[in-house]
Amino acid sequence: MLQNESQTLDEATMSIQPDSKTRRYDRQLRLWAASGQAALESSRILVTAGSATSTSVLKNLVLPGIGHFTILDAAPTTPADAGNNFFLNANASIGKPRAEEAVPLLRELNESVDGVADTRDLEALLQTDEGRKYVTSFTLVIAHNLPAKTLEQLSTLLWQDPTYPPLMVVRSAGFLADFYIQFHEHCIIESHSETAPSLRLTKPFPALQAWADSTDYDKLDPTEHAHIPFALILIKEADKWRAEHGGALPKAYAEQKAFKADVRARQRKLDEENFEEAEAQAVRMWTEKAVSSDIQALLDAPPVDPRSSPNAAFHALLQTLRAFVHDPAGPGCLPLTATLPDMKTDTESYVRLQRMYKEQARVENARFKELLKEKFPDLPIEEAVVDAFVKNSHHIKLLRGRPFGAFDRDAEALASALQIFPKETATHLAFTALSALLARGTEVTAEALTAGVQDLVGPDVELPDELDAAVGELARAPTADLPNTAAFLGGMVAQEAIKLLTKQYVPVNGYCVVDLVDSWTGTVGAPQ
Amino acid sequence: MAAAVATNGAAVAADWPGRYHHIDQVLDTPGPRTDPSFQAGDEVKEFLRDKCKILVIGAGGLGCEILANLALSGFKDIHVIDMDTIDISNLNRQFLFRSKDVGKPKALVAAESIMTRVPGVKITPYYGKIQDKDEDYYMQFNLVICGLDSVEARRWINATLVNMVDPENPESLKPLIDGGTEGFKGQARVILPTISSCYECSLDMLNKPTAFPICTIANTPRLPEHCIEWASVLEWPRVHGDKKMDTDDPEHIGWLYKTALARAKEFNIEGVTYSLTQGVVKNIIPAIASTNAIIAASCCNEAFKIATSSAAYLNNYFMLIGTDGVYSFTFEHEKRPECPVCGGEAVDLTISKGMTVDKLIETLVERQDIQIKKPSLSSPTKQIYFQAPPQLEEATRPNLEKPVSELVEEGGEITVTATSLPFSLSLRIHYT
Repeated sequence: MLQNESQTLDEATMSIQPDSKTRRYDRQLRLWAASGQAALESSRILVTAGSATSTSVLKNLVLPGIGHFTILDAAPTTPADAGNNFFLNANASIGKPRAEEAVPLLRELNESVDGVADTRDLEALLQTDEGRKYVTSFTLVIAHNLPAKTLEQLSTLLWQDPTYPPLMVVRSAGFLADFYIQFHEHCIIESHSETAPSLRLTKPFPALQAWADSTDYDKLDPTEHAHIPFALILIKEADKWRAEHGGALPKAYAEQKAFKADVRARQRKLDEENFEEAEAQAVRMWTEKAVSSDIQALLDAPPVDPRSSPNAAFHALLQTLRAFVHDPAGPGCLPLTATLPDMKTDTESYVRLQRMYKEQARVENARFKELLKEKFPDLPIEEAVVDAFVKNSHHIKLLRGRPFGAFDRDAEALASALQIFPKETATHLAFTALSALLARGTEVTAEALTAGVQDLVGPDVELPDELDAAVGELARAPTADLPNTAAFLGGMVAQEAIKLLTKQYVPVNGYCVVDLVDSWTGTVGAPQ
Repeated sequence: MAAAVATNGAAVAADWPGRYHHIDQVLDTPGPRTDPSFQAGDEVKEFLRDKCKILVIGAGGLGCEILANLALSGFKDIHVIDMDTIDISNLNRQFLFRSKDVGKPKALVAAESIMTRVPGVKITPYYGKIQDKDEDYYMQFNLVICGLDSVEARRWINATLVNMVDPENPESLKPLIDGGTEGFKGQARVILPTISSCYECSLDMLNKPTAFPICTIANTPRLPEHCIEWASVLEWPRVHGDKKMDTDDPEHIGWLYKTALARAKEFNIEGVTYSLTQGVVKNIIPAIASTNAIIAASCCNEAFKIATSSAAYLNNYFMLIGTDGVYSFTFEHEKRPECPVCGGEAVDLTISKGMTVDKLIETLVERQDIQIKKPSLSSPTKQIYFQAPPQLEEATRPNLEKPVSELVEEGGEITVTATSLPFSLSLRIHYT
């Protein structure tokens, strides 16, 4: 046995030195792990211009290691481009195709990323089947300051089929910007929520309850007493409380206070940190629900047929989760997560508790898989995906999107947004008015922009004072792609793209508005 | 080094017609929120491009971005200080560096890279510590931007710039713009030394570093981190004696990993990995290109607005959380009257009559708003305890066991100093 163990140790140390790829990506792997990295590496991204903002976005996607990017841009480099874009060879690039100048400079950031310059015209491509097929073949499309008509065509095309790539629409001028992600549906298993999953202390599984029952405070020596894990202390106290209060747990504030005082009163000596911890954690006893309201809403929504969804696995798992919660043989709540927080206790108790949770989680995971097989016998889902779903079932997210521009056509939503988020909504609408003016070739003035916004919301809606600040800035610099604004957007858009591609963390749903005069960001127009 | 310091002379004055088409849109016209003092047109352009001198501290994740943004924005006289060399784990975000640059000084490679790409900008790198430079050096700049990962360095530059302010000389007030990131989160802020809240004022906003009690590590390990701490804090000195642990040496990390893994096996604890070992002993903070880009852009945007008055600058704190949607919060952080750097008032501290000097020192180290490592203590009349030099330490050591009340009367003041910080803290002691 000893020999075996030391062999395992030696083997373990043989291959411990991480390879150069792991070392290069170490600081990001700590955020999205190998699974997120693999998703990034298999992505193919189309960017529809070689503007400063576009190359800034790409820089932040090439560095972490996307698979491929194409810059689709027919324009030659202007003297202005050469001045504001770091990914051009300054004045030496003037007159040469912007895409071809930028691609090599982006590729040298990361040898494992493939990049291509395409100097065809997007508008022409959108007119042919072949062109449309090409555009829809990517994983994600990013469009910065696209002319209104082309944007309309592109967003309409990409909305046609839920299997087509999401579109990120980015608009900027001077110190202001907004961006939007057009997607039908975005399913997230690993949202990396910071709220702790339930320890099921109000509804302990049998082994845990048995341990709590067999713990007799009076029979413990001082060392043992000071090392009872807070989980057991709270379960015992809850049982006692229920017995004295007709089966109910503390509800009103006074009851909660009394419960905490009871917990604290069990402390034999002032230095028993486990009881202090139990008091601090007592809040779990009245905040934990069998199913949180977010997840309950997901379970209550009309089910989506996995056979007709591009997110078949997620919908099948979601329906299985509902079956699991309603399963008469099950715990009547979400599956248990085996991850325990640290507790003031001794090693032996902690490891025992950890094993108990692990064992129960294993049993429930197996039951979940049985239900999945019963409900969807023919649907192949990788076991790792099922395991991740069960483990993260407290934090899964399902975002539903709308086509780009739908908010601008929704008079009721606009009027309400102008009341609640005046500066964000005003800035967003000013951008819509700006692209209309630029498309018409009309001079961009504050008055023309205000008139455009009034047209969008209708004559009866009063415009907020905040609109003056927004239209004034846009009229000041209607076509300025400022280096700092470009860099700021480059970070934000890339960050959201990474969340979309890895299906980890939660991307913004709605129009993210940026004002770098007063240095704020906000989101409006999220689908209800 | 000499080559890096030299400007790319051939390219100087390489402004081509239309180069600043984008930026000039905001420099030729004021916006609705622009201050009336804004000198639109040639005057502001001349100041930005020919006169303004800016210092960038740090040429890492934020620094690379800051240098590129400043150069493209039209700042032409930029200095950069960084004491680090390039590591392979920097390449996922520090975009001015390539694999071939690993091992070279960051400041030099970054300066070279920017000057090649942006003609006419002069970047003067210094490969060394900010503490090597004196007030005369810092006095030459109009603005300072920090992209640092060290709290200590930030406290040092903050205190230095606050100390430099001479009310008779407005030029002595150097706006400090500070950025910081951690994973998908970050912040950017503008500090007007002595006028607005300084870095020290907000020290208590920092996350408390995770510290594991020594008795947990020694007796009741539960988490893989406890085993790793045991290996590095207790086993390393026991086995290797005075040999210093080098967390950049893969052999040392390998030893720690093996040792931690063996302890974890003994206690049936799961989860010790090489990556976690490295993370714990090096205190690794996740870092990505996109967050750095956002925060660096925010810092440079504030620098641009301060230098040009083309728009109001941030008052004074921008905080970003990018994990769940895009959430940001812009607010005015208030000055702290008892801030040891810019406040001038003593901190009132109430302790028990029996508290020993030793215990008081422990309290000062732990307090979130003080965070002072190895403090030395004195009262106006006596030396209470000095960490150095050794003779003085030895002479004052017996005081450690004494109650503070024996040495300082009710309402008396204690001056606290530490070699790592260029300021002192005044405590007014009260007894319960």
